Amino acid sequence: MTAPVVARERRAVDFTGTRTATPWIEGEPTLREISDDVIRPLVTRPGFGWWSCFAVALCALLIGVSAVAYEIATGIGVWGLNRTVGWAFDITNFVFWIGIGHAGTLISAILLLLRQQWRTAISRSAEAMTIFAVMCAAMFPLIHMGRPWLAFWVIPYPNSRGPLWVNFRSPLLWDVFAINTYLTISLVFWYLGMIPDFATLRDRTEAGIRRAVYSVLSLGWNGSARTWSRYETTTTLLAGLATPLVISVHSIVSMDFATSVLPGWHTTLFPPYFVAGAVFSGFGMVLLLLIIVRTVMHLERYITIAHLEAMSKIMLLTGSIVGFAYATEFFNAWYSHNVYERYTFVNRVSGPYAWCFWTMAGCNALAPQLLWMRRVRRSVPALFILSILVNVGMWFERFVIIVTSLHRSFLPSSWTMYRPTIIEVGTLVGSFGLFFTCFLLFIRVLPMIAMWEVKAVARHASGAHV
Amino acid sequence: MTRWKLVIAIAAITSVVGAGVVARELSRVGVHQWYSPVQPIAFSHKLHAGDSRIPCLYCHFGARTSRHAGIPPANVCMNCHGILQKQSAEIEKLKELVAIARPIAWTKVHNLPDFVYFNHSQHVIAGVACQACHGHVERMERIEQEAPLTMGWCIQCHRAHSGGANAPAASLDCGKCHY
Amino acid sequence: MAQELTFFKRRPDAETSRRDFLTRIGFTLAASALASCSRGPVQKAIPFLNKPEEQTPGVANWYATTCAGCSAACPLLVKTRDGRPIKIEGNGESPLSGGGTCATGQATVLSLYDPDRLTGPMWHGETITWDEIDRRITERLAAARERGVVLLTNTIVSPSTTALIADWSRRFPKFRHVSYDAVSFSALRQATRECFGTAGVPHYRFDRATTIVGIDADFLGTWLAPVEFTRQHAARRRRALSGEMRHYQFEAGVSLTGSNADRRFGMAASDHGAIALALLRRIAAHAGITEPLPDVDAAIDEHAIAAAADDLWRDRGQSILVCGSNDVSIQVIVHAINAILGNIGATVDVDLPSLQKQGDDGAVDALVEDMNRGDVHVLMTYGVNPAYDLPAGPEFVRAMESVALTISFADRLDETAAHSHAVCPDHHFLEAWGDAEPVKGSFSLAQPTIAPLFNTRAAQESLLKWLGESPDFYSYVRAVWRRELYARQDRYHTFDEFWDHSLHDGVFEDPARGYRSQGSARLDPERWHAAARAIAHDHQRAAAARMPDSYELQLYETVALRDGRHANNPWLQELPDPVTKVTWGNYIVLAPSAAKALEVETGDVVRLAVGDHMCDLPAYVQPGQAQRTVSIALGYGRDRAGKVGNAVGVNAFPLVAAHGGHRRYVRGDVVLQRRTGKQLPLAATQTHHSIEGRPIVKTITLEELLSGTPEVMAPQPSLWPEREGGEHHWSMVIDLNACTGCSACVTACQAENNVPVVGPDEVRRGREMHWIRIDRYVDVAPDNDAALDVAFQPMMCQHCQDAPCETVCPVLATVHSSDGINQQIYNRCIGTRYCENNCPYKVRRFNWFQYAGNQEFDYTTTDPLERMVLNPDVVVRSRGVMEKCSLCVQRIQAEKLSAKQEGRRLADGRIKTACQQSCPANAIVFGDLNDPESEVARLRRSRRHFTVLEELGTRPNVGYLMRVTNGEKTEKPS
Repeated sequence: MTAPVVARERRAVDFTGTRTATPWIEGEPTLREISDDVIRPLVTRPGFGWWSCFAVALCALLIGVSAVAYEIATGIGVWGLNRTVGWAFDITNFVFWIGIGHAGTLISAILLLLRQQWRTAISRSAEAMTIFAVMCAAMFPLIHMGRPWLAFWVIPYPNSRGPLWVNFRSPLLWDVFAINTYLTISLVFWYLGMIPDFATLRDRTEAGIRRAVYSVLSLGWNGSARTWSRYETTTTLLAGLATPLVISVHSIVSMDFATSVLPGWHTTLFPPYFVAGAVFSGFGMVLLLLIIVRTVMHLERYITIAHLEAMSKIMLLTGSIVGFAYATEFFNAWYSHNVYERYTFVNRVSGPYAWCFWTMAGCNALAPQLLWMRRVRRSVPALFILSILVNVGMWFERFVIIVTSLHRSFLPSSWTMYRPTIIEVGTLVGSFGLFFTCFLLFIRVLPMIAMWEVKAVARHASGAHV
Repeated sequence: MTRWKLVIAIAAITSVVGAGVVARELSRVGVHQWYSPVQPIAFSHKLHAGDSRIPCLYCHFGARTSRHAGIPPANVCMNCHGILQKQSAEIEKLKELVAIARPIAWTKVHNLPDFVYFNHSQHVIAGVACQACHGHVERMERIEQEAPLTMGWCIQCHRAHSGGANAPAASLDCGKCHY
Repeated sequence: MAQELTFFKRRPDAETSRRDFLTRIGFTLAASALASCSRGPVQKAIPFLNKPEEQTPGVANWYATTCAGCSAACPLLVKTRDGRPIKIEGNGESPLSGGGTCATGQATVLSLYDPDRLTGPMWHGETITWDEIDRRITERLAAARERGVVLLTNTIVSPSTTALIADWSRRFPKFRHVSYDAVSFSALRQATRECFGTAGVPHYRFDRATTIVGIDADFLGTWLAPVEFTRQHAARRRRALSGEMRHYQFEAGVSLTGSNADRRFGMAASDHGAIALALLRRIAAHAGITEPLPDVDAAIDEHAIAAAADDLWRDRGQSILVCGSNDVSIQVIVHAINAILGNIGATVDVDLPSLQKQGDDGAVDALVEDMNRGDVHVLMTYGVNPAYDLPAGPEFVRAMESVALTISFADRLDETAAHSHAVCPDHHFLEAWGDAEPVKGSFSLAQPTIAPLFNTRAAQESLLKWLGESPDFYSYVRAVWRRELYARQDRYHTFDEFWDHSLHDGVFEDPARGYRSQGSARLDPERWHAAARAIAHDHQRAAAARMPDSYELQLYETVALRDGRHANNPWLQELPDPVTKVTWGNYIVLAPSAAKALEVETGDVVRLAVGDHMCDLPAYVQPGQAQRTVSIALGYGRDRAGKVGNAVGVNAFPLVAAHGGHRRYVRGDVVLQRRTGKQLPLAATQTHHSIEGRPIVKTITLEELLSGTPEVMAPQPSLWPEREGGEHHWSMVIDLNACTGCSACVTACQAENNVPVVGPDEVRRGREMHWIRIDRYVDVAPDNDAALDVAFQPMMCQHCQDAPCETVCPVLATVHSSDGINQQIYNRCIGTRYCENNCPYKVRRFNWFQYAGNQEFDYTTTDPLERMVLNPDVVVRSRGVMEKCSLCVQRIQAEKLSAKQEGRRLADGRIKTACQQSCPANAIVFGDLNDPESEVARLRRSRRHFTVLEELGTRPNVGYLMRVTNGEKTEKPS
């Protein structure tokens, strides 16, 4: 078991370049200390910080539940939509949450393949975030239907109607498959990653229900070299499987718009643009979560400034890509010489929803440019604010794309305005509630840092796993 | 170890079978095949349509011209029962109702949902036999829904007769029945 | 009839359960999954006891009758299903309406099922039996025999009713019949009497006119007989494709007619006299008449008037000048001009005049005085609502107190009936016998299409009863026709034969009607000089009286609500006004300049003060409105119309002025003031009226058309494989050159396809459900916002061959049929609204709520009675599904079936969609493209044909024919 670790050591040098000393853990915790630190939240009573966060999240969730219940009982009419603007908050939130999910997969799959060691401390929580985000996202296509109780009709199953199948030409159907695949793979990946830690937990807890549960979850893991090598192979394979998903899911989501005829939607630029945007917002959210968690749960030692800096570099890159995409859209509109295209983009910057556009541009394209400065990249408060800005900006990006394109399309006779209702806002709040409730529960009941991986990059790493 | 395998196998089988049963039951929701309610008057199609060979369209004349085949007005019954000597409790019921000029409240057997437009005359003109959908009415003492009347059941016939040699062609357009 | 009545009166519950099925299916699915062994609701089927010969359940019967929606009395064909009238269509036999209808006419069928109708007679607010009320009334009549008995009605166009009224005057020595029209034409009648001896409104023939000049006469929208005139206008526009024709319109507010004119000029109503004079002066000069005319210094567009006058003169004998003003002098001048031009007898027929609008304002005012003096002992009001639509409504009510017995025939407890001692509710016209003669010599019959729903009685039968005769108007009408009309024809040799044919056709033309006088009528110049002096004098007085800050108010009728008698009809309340696109209520129309002066925008509340009378109305800023004039619609602000019509808008009748014994719909003494901070957002279906320079409505000038440019556009290449064609290829073409935007099609579609009414709040949210809408695009001249170029475009599902909606629906709820129809399958729809987003034409309508049977939307489907109007061949959509125009697929099916039944091939033109059938301009053509000889195929080959947003490659099956404008049109008035 020593060999791979040593090998990783060497690569680490190659990748991080500067120092042989890997900066990914501060201080020199022994392996036991690492386990203690990570497992502490699971065994001790939660502190005031956690409780207050949880209370807030739960309230938000309840607001969301009641909003959705009311909407399903009464009809989509309780939202602000109309004959011209058929989608607004609902699909905006959907795309937003799907985007958030991306960082998790990226970190756990792509960075694993690239053998990026700094991912070790954050991968677990990033993957958890992915799953919760996709859960939130998946909720919206369901509740935005006029007759959600018939949602199962989008699944191709043998039926007594002829049989009558689904429309495989419809991007919405592609979404169904894409999202389900994504969710499944992410879940498997997440669970697989936790097996060794479950074993650790099992070994540390004395007989009882907890132990029983852990032993079932750890699938009889015994940490033998054979298990490990198989384990390594599996994860690598899965990573290979998951990698294309990072690209595919959001490309397909973007096709909901790209394949339409609507000016502002109908563009081939969308798939790459959406993927970049997704990773961008994803890292924004990871950063936000980790900054909160490391302070609330006192894990500064494992989630170091170096981690944050690494992530902010990715944000800088993807943010710039997004900014470039905006510019390209406008160039295309001007260059196409198409009266409808042109109007749509003029309307974006100067129309009644211009403020949304400028919020989006400011938060997504301009703000991240600050990250060129090392000082900003290493300042926790700056990153905290930036990560919030990025999330706000990315939400508005989807809103701008959807609403400004719809509300003034081809025939001026049907131009309208869209105003969200309290119910829609409630639903958005609720989705955040759901997300944070899940996440807060997660950090209490599951090891939020992959112990075995962290140990692997610990200074005096040895093959032994406690 | 084999014990585990066995457990897993059983679990798998039961879940698969269970799923199958549930799916089958759900697909039967709203399908009222073999529905055969008791009618206010125990009218026997076997006797009338079977033994006495009265043509369906004699009583259900609407089927030729209208969307609804129609249930014969009492005066159609009386065309014969006004003259026929034969008596029975059921015929008495009929005559009483006619005497007090009250129409008979039959229970509808073949029900299609609101969102399906079905037109009898269209099918009668195309030469579809009544039995094709209503089953062997001439053998039924009490009317019973023999066909499932699901969309799939309609479609298989429409498919068989869509275009080709056997005109008139049955359409497969959704808008043929749903509007 | 009785039989089938008992038949379907049992039906509503059965109907309901069928209709609400969709509503429940969602929940049913879940519920029955739990109890899937249990059966659905048991449905009963109750046959006839004895089936009436003509009745087969499920087969429609058609009856010819006559519309009573307004005095134009258009002949109708009424479709009844299982004994219920469910759809009104125009009767093509009619030489006047030619099978067209208007929105009002289309909507009258809904009023039949109005739950606010009275269900029986009432005495002092208590329900009572007919026998009892007859007893009381007859004895009081006997007492009043030698005293004043007055029948107050609106214009009676029914010869039989007129005869009946004559009987009354024979029986009661002091009997008086007074008639007035809520919107009065009495000045025109008087002018005609002064000029030509016979009082009456001339019968106008716009189809014979090459040049039309209209002065504030909205003859395409609300003036006199819009359906007939629209038909004439369309015929004229078709002729115009081969030669130049011109229509000038001088008006204060923007009317439907003005919107369709070649050249429209916004000019204050107070200047219309001056305009008429200026026209006369120039035409007289042309005619070599030299007597000088008094001068009027008004700020009128001399250039425009000169152009109009010259065109009138050039086309003398085939030109026409009409004026909507209720001022005798102006109408005299107008008659004079038409006489000089030799139009009398050619385009203006005074020998066989229109019999509409016989009202006499003076007589009503006199009546009120008599009532106050106590000379009137019995007052019967029939077809009028003086408490509401007289300017002095309250005075009238007060006067009613000094009448011993007041009887109202109103069908509901309206403003007048509420103050009457006895209310003897009249039938709805679809329940009653009757006849009409709207234009001298053209008759039509009205017959019941359903047995009376309630314990009501035709007003005529009440009148007969009280005369002591048998209350049987049917025989009375027969007798009148035998006496008056049978003799006039020689086609049928027995009266029964004549009667049966007339009843079947619904119309009878007096063969002698062919006669025309040869425009001999010349006026004695002294008459028009007198009128001219009067106009000049009035003008000076008005100018002197005008305060610097005062505005001029013009009152007008809207296409939907007319004089307000249909205010309780939800279809009409929700019908977008053709000009402003506003529904549910009236508003004060301001010119942009006035809006700037008052610092208001559309939706801000403005307080209007006339003397001490005040009202608050939301503002509507309308380019084209004459400077310093404002317009308000009549017919709103009812407070006893019913659940739908009460308290919608403000009643403007009290603002009507009087002048020389005639009502005047213009007044100069109006003060406006902005109510700061107060807002009343208007429920408009279209808020953006500029076309943004987009090639959506295509226009071609006459020169281009005649010179053969532009060439027909080559079909766009497509990446989609060509669909393999079916038996048919349905297609529709709409002639934008004929369409006037009258919106009859909107209501017709609503009636045919069970389109729900959603109410003002939902309309404000942009959720109206109409399957067909009329887009209105305005191009305002930058220099002068009184000069408009307006285009109307009926827009419904375009049934694209390569439809963007079809590719995106995940569950195949919208798919293409083999015969070219884009089908929406409601029961498959799960409501993702993706199709709506991807539809470039935005013609899809989503059921945001459960509209049918929902108390929240208490308009047309909550009461089982209201549901009787639903078309049983079209499903009522439930909550959460998308819907849209189906090209009336149910009608296509029906016609294909009847062709099959009769073993014939389906002839072109047999299938008529609801919008097409209702169109008075015949602007809509539907047919099969697979038949190269079909009308629609021919039109699609026309050089004027285009499809909207062609460049998207959606290849719509609905096409349009370009508007044709006269080259000069683009030139703006100086």
